[in-house]
Amino acid sequence: MKMFSVAHKTVFVVDHCPYMAESSRQQVECDVLTKSRAQGVIPLAPVSKSLWTCAVECSMEYCRILYDVYPKDKLVNYIVSDSEFHILNSWRRGDQSTHELMSALAAVGPPNPCEDPECCSILHGLVAAVESLCKITELQHEKRTALMDTAERVANRGRIICLTNAKSDTHVRMLEDCIQETILDQNKLAAGSDRLMGIQQCELVLVHIYPQGEDTLVSDRPKKEISPLLTSEVHSVRAGRHLASKLNILVQQHFDLASTTITNIPMKEEQHANTSANYDVELLHHRDAHLEFFKSGDLHMAGTSTRENSFKETVTLKWCTPRTNNIELHYCTGAYRISPTDVNSRPSSCLTNFLLNGRSVLLEQPRKSGSKVISHMLSSHGGEIFLHVLNSNRSTLEDPPSISEGCGGRVTDYRITDFGEFMRENRLTPVAESSHDPSGKVPVERAKAQLERYTRYWPMIISQTTIFNMQAVVPLANLIVKETLTEEDVLTCQKTVYNLVDMERKNDPLPISTVGSRGKGPKRDEQYRIMWNELETLVKTHAGATDRHQRVLDCIIACRSKPPEEEERKKRGRKREDREDRAEKNGSKEMEDKSWQDSERLKGLLEKGEQDAEVIKDSPDSPEPLNKKPRLMVDEVQPPERAKGPVSLLSLWTNRITAANSRKHQEFVGRVSSVNNKFELYQHLKEENGMDVHENGKASR
Amino acid sequence: MPTVVLMDVSLSMTRPVSLDGSEEFQRKNLAVHGLNMLFEHMASNYRLEFTALMAFSSLWELLVPFTRDYNALQEALSSLEDYDKTCIEAALNGVNNVVQQEWGSGCPCQVVLVTDGSLGIGKGSLRHSLQTLKHRGEDKKFPLPFPFPTKLYILCIANSEELQMTDAMDNLEHLLCLSGGDGQIFTMEGPLCMKSVQTMFGRLIDHAYSPFHAVLHCGNLSSDVQVFPRPEPMVVDEEVEPMPRVVSTDVDEVGAAATDELEDEPSATQMAGKSPNFCVLLHGSLKVEGMVALVQLGPEWYGMLYSQADSKKKSNLMMSLFEPGSEPLPWLGKISYLGPVSEAAENPYGEDDSKSPFPVQPPAKRSYAQNVTVWIKASGLQADVQKILRNARKLPDKTQTFYKELNRMRKAALAFGFLELLKGVADLLERECTLLPDSAHPDAAFQLSHAAQQLKLASTGDSQYADFDHNIAPMHTDFSTSVSSTRR
Repeated sequence: MKMFSVAHKTVFVVDHCPYMAESSRQQVECDVLTKSRAQGVIPLAPVSKSLWTCAVECSMEYCRILYDVYPKDKLVNYIVSDSEFHILNSWRRGDQSTHELMSALAAVGPPNPCEDPECCSILHGLVAAVESLCKITELQHEKRTALMDTAERVANRGRIICLTNAKSDTHVRMLEDCIQETILDQNKLAAGSDRLMGIQQCELVLVHIYPQGEDTLVSDRPKKEISPLLTSEVHSVRAGRHLASKLNILVQQHFDLASTTITNIPMKEEQHANTSANYDVELLHHRDAHLEFFKSGDLHMAGTSTRENSFKETVTLKWCTPRTNNIELHYCTGAYRISPTDVNSRPSSCLTNFLLNGRSVLLEQPRKSGSKVISHMLSSHGGEIFLHVLNSNRSTLEDPPSISEGCGGRVTDYRITDFGEFMRENRLTPVAESSHDPSGKVPVERAKAQLERYTRYWPMIISQTTIFNMQAVVPLANLIVKETLTEEDVLTCQKTVYNLVDMERKNDPLPISTVGSRGKGPKRDEQYRIMWNELETLVKTHAGATDRHQRVLDCIIACRSKPPEEEERKKRGRKREDREDRAEKNGSKEMEDKSWQDSERLKGLLEKGEQDAEVIKDSPDSPEPLNKKPRLMVDEVQPPERAKGPVSLLSLWTNRITAANSRKHQEFVGRVSSVNNKFELYQHLKEENGMDVHENGKASR
Repeated sequence: MPTVVLMDVSLSMTRPVSLDGSEEFQRKNLAVHGLNMLFEHMASNYRLEFTALMAFSSLWELLVPFTRDYNALQEALSSLEDYDKTCIEAALNGVNNVVQQEWGSGCPCQVVLVTDGSLGIGKGSLRHSLQTLKHRGEDKKFPLPFPFPTKLYILCIANSEELQMTDAMDNLEHLLCLSGGDGQIFTMEGPLCMKSVQTMFGRLIDHAYSPFHAVLHCGNLSSDVQVFPRPEPMVVDEEVEPMPRVVSTDVDEVGAAATDELEDEPSATQMAGKSPNFCVLLHGSLKVEGMVALVQLGPEWYGMLYSQADSKKKSNLMMSLFEPGSEPLPWLGKISYLGPVSEAAENPYGEDDSKSPFPVQPPAKRSYAQNVTVWIKASGLQADVQKILRNARKLPDKTQTFYKELNRMRKAALAFGFLELLKGVADLLERECTLLPDSAHPDAAFQLSHAAQQLKLASTGDSQYADFDHNIAPMHTDFSTSVSSTRR
C-alpha cells in the first residue's frame, strides 16, 4: 500500500436524520433468566437497536480493527449529518482513538425523531467530508516539508464511507453528483491555499441501511468510475449482523487485511474448571502474513474455509503447545499486528490475555498428511500482539561458515569480556522526543559519538595492552572517555596516576611482567615504561576535548618515569623545555607516534612470552593457541641496561657493590662480550668448520 | 538468492561455430565454457550461493539439485547430451516447480537461461507461447511471472545481429518483461568464440555475482566484511520514495541491545570476516553476552548483528536487515531516538541488569488490551447485562464491581445512542430489588434503586444526566460505612 493511497484518509459520514431513529427490528433478548429464578418473574421485553445504533456500533468496530492493525497514519475523520454537519474529530494523530469518537458520539446522542425531516440531509455531511479530505494531515505535512523534491509526490487521496438510509437509486445518483461537484469546487479552492490540498482520488462507499423485514429501495452496485477523481460503489444492507459483517469485509478490503482462525485452542470451561474444550478464535491482520499461501496456491491445504453466514475466507491454523524456546525466530520473515474479530468473546480474550502475559503460541498448518509444518507464531511486544511468519521452507542461510575460519579467527586472546563490558556501557535506551539536547544532535548520533570516544584507543587483544589488564588503571580509563570531566573526575584520574607512581616506586609487578621477566630489575622498569607510554597514548586521544582532560595528561607527563630517549637527549644537551613544549601540544603527533611505535615493537617481542600468562581471557570461537616459541627468545631480546627508569635505593646499592666487587677481579671474557648475558661457547669450532656465524658475529662486535 | 541455471540442450545448440583454421566448436561448447567460468568464479568468490542445473529441450531435467558443490555442477556440464527442440515454456514450468519445492514462494531466485536464440518452432516454441498468452485457462497459465521474486538473466550464444534477423530478440524481451522486468539479456559481441563467450559471462558475473564488500564501523574500530547474500536495493514507496534504497558499504554500528527484545526481520545475511578482525571480537562478545548490535545501513535503514550458531561448534556473525524506515520495530520506538544509557539519569537496565527500557509501550493500548464494549453479537450484550445482574445480587460485597460494570455499559449505550437499553437495565435492577430475599443486606436495596434511577435519568438523553464522562457513583448510605467498619 502506498503511503498516501486512499487508505490514508477515511471519512465516515453517518446519517443522523430522524428516520435513523427507527428500529432495526432486530431484537435482542438481554434478560436471560436462570431456571431457579424463572418462577413468577416476567422477563424483560427484548430490546432492539435503532438504525443509528447499528450504524454507529458497526462503524466503531471498523475503526477498532483499523486502529489495532494500523495504530498510526491510517486516519479516520468522523462526521455526523442531520440539519447540519457535526465533525466529531480531526485528522490529528491525537484524535485517532475509538474512545475519543465514542465520547463525541455520546455528546451527539441518538437522532431526534421529532426533528423536521425536510431540514435534514446526509448531504451536509458529504460536503463536509469533501472539505475535510482537502485538509492536510500531519503525515502529509511532514512529508511535504521534509524534502523539497518529494513535496509534489505527496498525494491527496481519500475514501468516504457513507452510512445512510437512501430513498432510491436516483437519490444515490444525486448524492454522487453532488460529491463530484463539491470535489471540483474544493480543488479550485485548495489550489490557492497552503493549508489545503486538492483531491486526486476519492472513493465513495455508500452503505444503504434498511430495517429487517423491509425490501430495499436501493440496489447494490459495484465500484464504478464517476469521473477520473471519483469512484463510487453502493452496498444495500439490512441493519444488524448483516451490516456488521459487511463493514467487517469492507475494512479487510480497504486495508489489505486477511483472516486467520486459530483452531484447537484448549481453554478451561467456566463451569468445570478441570475440564477443557477446544475453541476457535478469528484474527484479522495484514494479508502479507498469508503471502506464502496465496502465492503457492496452498490456500486449501492450509485449511481455508468459507464460513457459514459470512462471505469471507479465513485460513485455519492449529494451536501448538506453547514453548519458550525462541530458536524458531531466526527464520521469522515478518511480523504483523492483529485484531481479534470478536474482541470481547471469552475465547478471544483468553487467547489475547495469554499472549499479553508474555507467552508465545506456535501455529501449525493443518495438512492432510505428512509432517506438521509450523508456519506462524503469535507473540506480543510492548502490549501489542503480532502474528509472526516463520519460514517453513529450506533456508538459503543454512550451513554458514564458522567465524573462526575467517580472518582473525585464529587469534586466541580477544578481549571478549572487556568488549562485553564496553557493549553494556554503550547500550541504547529510548529518549523522549521532547527532550532537547544542546548539541542539537539526535540521540542516535550522540550514541555514535560516544562509540567514537570510547574506541579512540581500544586494543582488541589482551597481549596488545598492559593498562587494560590492570585493575589500578580502571578508574582513569572509565573516566577519560567521558565527554566532560568534573573536578572530582580529574582528581580521581590524578589519584590513579599517583597510585601507579607508587606502584612503580614499590616495584609492584605488572600483569605484563608476570611471565617473561626472569630475574630482576631492568625488565620491570621496561614494563613500567611501556605501561606509561600506553597510558599516555590513551589519554592523549582525549586531551583535546576539555582543559580537564588535558590536565590528566599533564599529570601523567609530570609523574611518569622518563622514557630513555629523553635521557639520551638530555645527555646530548638538548633543552628540556623544547621537549615539554612538544609534548604538551596535542598536535605533537610525530613524537607520540614514534614513542608508541617504539613501545609497540617492544611489546610485540614481549607478547610471545606472555601468551601463557594467566590474564588470558576467554575467546570462545578461537582455536587453541599455536605452539609457543621457546622462552629463550624473550631473554635474548632484553633491552640494554641503559633503558632503566629511575633507580631504587636497593638497586643503587647493589650496583655499587657489584661495581666495587668487579674491580677486584678480572671479568670473564664471555661475560664482557655477552649478548643478554649469553655467550656462545666454542665459537672457533664453527669458524673452523666454515659454518654460518650470524649470531656470534654480532656478539663479537 | 539461489540460482537456477537453465541450459538449452536442443539440437540447434550443436550448430558448429565457424572458426578460421582452428578446431571446430559447437555453440554448446561455448555455453559450457561460459558456465564453467561462472561456476569457477562462484566456487571461489560466491561459494555460499546455492545453484541448481537444469537441462531442457522439449522436456526438462534437473541434472543437479541445489548445491554449493561446484565440482558436481561442472561435472554435470561435461556430460550433457543433445536432445530435440527448444521449448522454453515447459522448462520455465520446471524451474517454477524445482524452486518452489526447495525454497517456497517467498525466496528470491536468479534464473540463468542459456540458449542460442533459436527458440523452437510451432507448438511449444516461445513465439507460440507468447502468441497464445491471452487465450489460456486457469490451469494452463504461462509460468511467468513466477510466484517468487525473480531475476532473469538470458545468455544468448548468438550475437544481437543474428537475433534481430528473426523475432527472437523481441520474444526474449517480451519474456523478460513477463517475468517482471528484473534481469537482463546478454548477447555475444563480435564473432562467436571462446573469448567473446568469456566476455559475456564476465558481464553476467560483474552484474549479478560480484561479492558485496563493506566496512563495519564501531567508532574507531572497524573491519572489512563481505556480506552474503548481497543486500539488494529496495523501493520503499514507489510514489513518495521512488528511488531504490541501497545498503551503504559503510556500515555503522549504533549500539547494543539485549537480545530478547529483538528478533529477525526479512533477510538475514552472513558476514564473513576478511581481515584481523574486529568482527571476531564483536561476534565473541555478542555471543557471550547474549546481545545484538544495531547497525545503520544507510539513511533510515537499520539492521542488527548477532551471533548465530546452527550447531554448537560453528557460529558466525549474522546481519538481519529491517525494513527501511525510521521505526522498523515498533517496540524499539524510533531508532533515531535511541540514545546512550550514559545520558540517562538512572541506568534503565538497572544496576544488576535486571530491567530493560524495552519494549517501548505504544501511546495507546490496542482494543484487546482494554476492556472495550462491543455489542454487535447479541451474546456480547447479554454477557454484559448478566455481569451487572450477577454483581447486583451480591451487593453490597460487590459494590465496586457492580458500579464499574454498570458505568461501562452506560458509556457504551450513550455512545451508541442505545437509550432503550439503559431503560431496560434500569427495569431489571428494579426487579432485582423486589426479588431481594429478606436476609439481604439493607444497603443492597438502596444501591439497586439508586442505580436504576440514575440509568433512567441517563436514558432520557438529557445532557445533564447523559454526560459520557460522568460515572454513577455508589450511593452513600449509613449502612455502607457501618458495613465497612464492622468488616474491619
